[in-house]
Amino acid sequence: MIGLTHYLVVGAILFVLGVLGIFINRKNVIIILMAIELILLSVNINLVAFSAYLGDLVGQVFSMFVLTVAAGEAAIGLAILVIYFRGRGTIAVDDVNRMKG
Amino acid sequence: MNHDMSASLLLVAPELTLTLAGLALLIWAAFFGDRHATGISIAAVAALVGAGALTSLAPAAGGNAFDGLARVDAFSTFAHVLIYFAAAVAIIIAPRFFRAHTPGGHGLMRAEYPILIVFAAVGMGMMVSATDLMTLYVGLEMNSLAAYVLASFIRTDTRSAEAGLKYFVLGALASGILLYGMSLLYGFSGTTNFAGIAAAMGADFSGGLVFGLVFVLAGLAFKISAVPFHMWTPDVYEGAPTPVTAFFASAPKVAAMALTVRVCIEAFGPTTLDWQQIIIFLALASTILGAVGAIGQRNIKRLLAYSSINNVGFALIGLAAGSEAGVAATMSYMAVYVVMTLGSFLCILQLRDAGGAYVEDIARMAGLGKARPWLVGAIALFMFSLAGIPPLFGFWPKFLVFDAAVRAGLLPLAIIGALSSVISAFYYLKVIKTMAFDEAPADAPQWTAEGNAVETGLIGFTATAISPLGYLAIAPLAYLSGNAALALFR
Amino acid sequence: MIKLIVFLPLLAALVAGLGNRMIGNVVAKAITTGALLTSCALSWPIFLAFVAGNASPSVTPLFTWMQSGGLDIAWSLRVDTLTAVMLVVVTSVSSLVHIYSWGYMDEDPDQPRFFAYLSLFTFAMLMLVTANNLVQMFFGWEGVGLASYLLIGFWFKKPSANAAAIKAFVVNRVGDLGFMLGIFGTFLVFGTVSIPDILAAAPGMAGSAITFLGMRLDTMTILTLLLFVGAMGKSAQLGLHTWLPDAMEGPTPVSALIHAATMVTAGVFMVCRLSPMFEAAPVAQGFVIFIGAATCLFAATVATTQTDIKRVIAYSTCSQLGYMFFAAGVGAYGAAMFHLFTHAFFKALLFLGAGSVIHAMHHEQDMRYYGALRKRIPLTFWAMVAGTLAITGVGIPGLAVGFAGFWSKDAILESAWAAGSLGVEGGHLAFLVGAFAALLTSFYSWRLIFLTFFGKARWTQSEHIAHALHDAHGDHHADSDHDNPPSQEDAGHEPAQHGPAAAGLSDGTGGYHPHESPWSMLVPLIVLSIGAVAAGQVFHHVFVDPEGGLAFWNGSIAFDAHLAHASHEVPTWVMFTPFVVMLTGLWIAYNNYIRDPGAPARFTAMFGPLYTFLLNKWYFDELYNVIFVRPAFWFGRLFWQRGDVGIIDRFGPDGAARAVQGGSVLTGRLQSGFLYTYALVMLLGLAGLATWAMVRF
Repeated sequence: MIGLTHYLVVGAILFVLGVLGIFINRKNVIIILMAIELILLSVNINLVAFSAYLGDLVGQVFSMFVLTVAAGEAAIGLAILVIYFRGRGTIAVDDVNRMKG
Repeated sequence: MNHDMSASLLLVAPELTLTLAGLALLIWAAFFGDRHATGISIAAVAALVGAGALTSLAPAAGGNAFDGLARVDAFSTFAHVLIYFAAAVAIIIAPRFFRAHTPGGHGLMRAEYPILIVFAAVGMGMMVSATDLMTLYVGLEMNSLAAYVLASFIRTDTRSAEAGLKYFVLGALASGILLYGMSLLYGFSGTTNFAGIAAAMGADFSGGLVFGLVFVLAGLAFKISAVPFHMWTPDVYEGAPTPVTAFFASAPKVAAMALTVRVCIEAFGPTTLDWQQIIIFLALASTILGAVGAIGQRNIKRLLAYSSINNVGFALIGLAAGSEAGVAATMSYMAVYVVMTLGSFLCILQLRDAGGAYVEDIARMAGLGKARPWLVGAIALFMFSLAGIPPLFGFWPKFLVFDAAVRAGLLPLAIIGALSSVISAFYYLKVIKTMAFDEAPADAPQWTAEGNAVETGLIGFTATAISPLGYLAIAPLAYLSGNAALALFR
Repeated sequence: MIKLIVFLPLLAALVAGLGNRMIGNVVAKAITTGALLTSCALSWPIFLAFVAGNASPSVTPLFTWMQSGGLDIAWSLRVDTLTAVMLVVVTSVSSLVHIYSWGYMDEDPDQPRFFAYLSLFTFAMLMLVTANNLVQMFFGWEGVGLASYLLIGFWFKKPSANAAAIKAFVVNRVGDLGFMLGIFGTFLVFGTVSIPDILAAAPGMAGSAITFLGMRLDTMTILTLLLFVGAMGKSAQLGLHTWLPDAMEGPTPVSALIHAATMVTAGVFMVCRLSPMFEAAPVAQGFVIFIGAATCLFAATVATTQTDIKRVIAYSTCSQLGYMFFAAGVGAYGAAMFHLFTHAFFKALLFLGAGSVIHAMHHEQDMRYYGALRKRIPLTFWAMVAGTLAITGVGIPGLAVGFAGFWSKDAILESAWAAGSLGVEGGHLAFLVGAFAALLTSFYSWRLIFLTFFGKARWTQSEHIAHALHDAHGDHHADSDHDNPPSQEDAGHEPAQHGPAAAGLSDGTGGYHPHESPWSMLVPLIVLSIGAVAAGQVFHHVFVDPEGGLAFWNGSIAFDAHLAHASHEVPTWVMFTPFVVMLTGLWIAYNNYIRDPGAPARFTAMFGPLYTFLLNKWYFDELYNVIFVRPAFWFGRLFWQRGDVGIIDRFGPDGAARAVQGGSVLTGRLQSGFLYTYALVMLLGLAGLATWAMVRF
């Protein structure tokens, strides 16, 4: 029987993967965008699992909001990435350090 | 579940106005493009002013809207007014900046700038009146998404794009952390409502709730750029266009701080002793790192970024007290801070060389005192005030937060805070010294004296407000912030 | 009226000092002098009313100064007999000095400042003498100290004047510390600083003890000793006297006013004012006798060898103050105040006379280059003689006729003997020391007169005269073109080697023509001469007579009628001793400087070490240099270089600055610009917070 704990563990694993994807990856900014989606999805799994477990619809409504925002976020992220690429001609994470100190 | 929809709509009238105005302006901009940027800007400012006026409709006793999704009370009103004021200023100072020739800039005021600010303001308005995790999240994201775009607003400037990219990635990470914490809070308390969460925490403070609390606070700390979630701040402040930086340093800071305060008091109220420790850590780390980090800075915007980190730390000292007086002190601090920081950025926006390019390098500002004595005088006023040197008004809120901390038994926190303010005085004074007393370098810019009546007026207004004359405002400020704090502890 | 007396000088000082160049020399001088003359004119009726016995003590409150718990300090002006005496002394001498300065300072470019200082000093002195509480007295005390510092260093371009001013200030600090501690202690013991309250309670405190650092100490002894240390500093008593001779760097009118007539007597005044306290502390009284007698002797011996005319008078002042102190010590406060009163006249006279001589001799101060001035400046000569007759105490014991010093000094010596006979320890010894000092006084005073006014002119050896002749080419107004401050110490003890062309003249004048001083300087001399001649004769019955004194002092000092009585019934030889020693001193001086001018040289050759010892003022300055000054510098350097720079700065300001600097570099390095660093920091922060929360949970 698959219970709440299993969902939460999956959610946690996805969250950690997403986080690791942000700061272990040094190649491509696109991967970071994917990692962010991963984090949001892990949260959605949590919310839906809790919702089902609690018998409360709010969690699923919340996950709809999260999905919506994630879509907007992805759009904006890609847009910023595009103008960045236009200016610098690269999207390697290691190159994004014009400003520091 | 029996509530009056129209009453709820009336309660959120300011946000509603701004939303409708933003949508209308968007259509306007879609039809007429950048040629109408000025008109759209004026309309946006008018909408913000109108929204600010509408906050006066808020019932004195406060009111819940949409079945507890949001609450309008003295606290939210206090924050609303500050946010709308800062947002309006951010629009007012923009056209001159964007139209000026900037390195890599396009010399064009785009029509979507005021619209983005208006939508960000809507998000911030939601944040400060949120009493539910969903409202909180949507408001926060609404603000953030607009902010990501604003940071990279000058598309041809790689620094602006880099600022946007960094802000976006780290902001997304932060909101992921925040969301994850929210999912835990929801799962372990069974509700997304602040009051419900507080009830669950009071009943049984389980491990899941602890994690939820820490994650949520971490996510919020990112927004107020408290150490160690501050890393984006210097880079974004430096890279973003200066009016946008001014905006970042003011309105979202107020909104996020107000949100943090409300979450801590209303949702986490029963576990004050637990979150207090976290806030103390954030406050100490922010004041110290903000002070120390600023010392080596050569770029004035970067320096002000550290300054804002430092100041947020001071504001958090008030929250760390966890008392009504502490919350009032924090809100007073944010009010004065907004005025000081907007004034500083207004002054920076006057620093243009003969070619019209903006000067951000502090070393190149040497000798400015001879060319623009009044401006340097105003900058000195703002810097001294940021450093909290009496008799300037910046001293007053610092005193309030220290007082609240001492009364709450947090004497070491107050002492370390005071010490770090000594360190921070160093770099503020260094800026003044460079401008007023150093000899102009050989490649010193030819300063233009051209001014803009509105901006000069705003500098005059903010400078007057933080001058010793500001002490006249102590009584009303204490009344309003006291009411705001009372609304949370009702 | 008393308010006018006290505050007119302050007002004048403010106007002259702040107005300075704006109002000009004449206006500033007129305002200050006018204010002082008014004060003086108002003071004399008060004094005479007290003499006549139809005035009663009064206190005029001004306003509250501070109030904190039991400490209640009000500004008020107290007028009683003691104050009245001081009022006339201060205002009279001060107004005469103001007038005198019109002439003496005529060529100075900075006159408003000078007169403002003089008036400021007078105000502070008046505040001191009218004080009704110790704190106000201390205010006046510090005020006169400040004015003294400013006036000694008036010619601030002269390094030696600055050094003297600093020395006066520093040495006075030592005394002031004692005074302050005394005030604190008094407040601690009595719970009040009000003088009448303290004096009323003082007799009851006799014999009580306090514990300090585990020692049982007699309360009154400790308090009075501390207060007396203050008096020693201000009145230049042995040990704290070193500043007074150096203070002669100031302009001569200043020396006359501050360092002879008024400020230096503040210590005596204080002891008399607080006499009931001293009466309750026999040990302290013994100490006062000892210090007074020792100073009296020491200063008189040194005065016999000095060659600088002002220094001779300065040491003479020091010596006379010693008389006053041992008189106070034996309980003869009336005699002490009497001597203070008469001394103010004849010592101011001597100083102003010396100033007149210096003026005439083109700022030459070394008596070895004087001589034969009697005919050239006759008025000054006669005034100086009057002063000398007064200080040496010329008078006929049996007939009760004599100059001022005769009355007061004899009263002191007789009181000392009488007190000794009544059982006061040290009384007889003080008498003997005082009598010997009187002999020395007579000797050095007449030596001054003989060297200056008699014999042959020895002017050509003086550098100052040489300069005057050189500059003016024998111009009759040789000193009118001299607007530099007179340089004094640089005259040195070695005769100048070079002389002008006219040095060949055989009469020793070098062709120089000294001139009598202007009338503005002579009038004060004449007035003071009258005082020096008559003050004793006129006022002795009220100051020291058993019956008259008791009524006159009216409780303002602890006047001991019994002692006064006894002092009139001393053995005849005691009564005649001062007379005899005075004549002896005169004879020695005459023998050495008129009859046989070679005698001093033979004497110094015979007693070389003794002469050198005295000439170098008992080596006090050198001793202090070794004991205090050099170790102080050593300690200062130790604390500065090792302590301050090495430890405090290193770990304090510099260390903190370095830590902050290091932190700034570290922060900068952390802000690497890379996204993954930023994310890592955030996550580490999150992990840290979560871990901490879980552990706590």
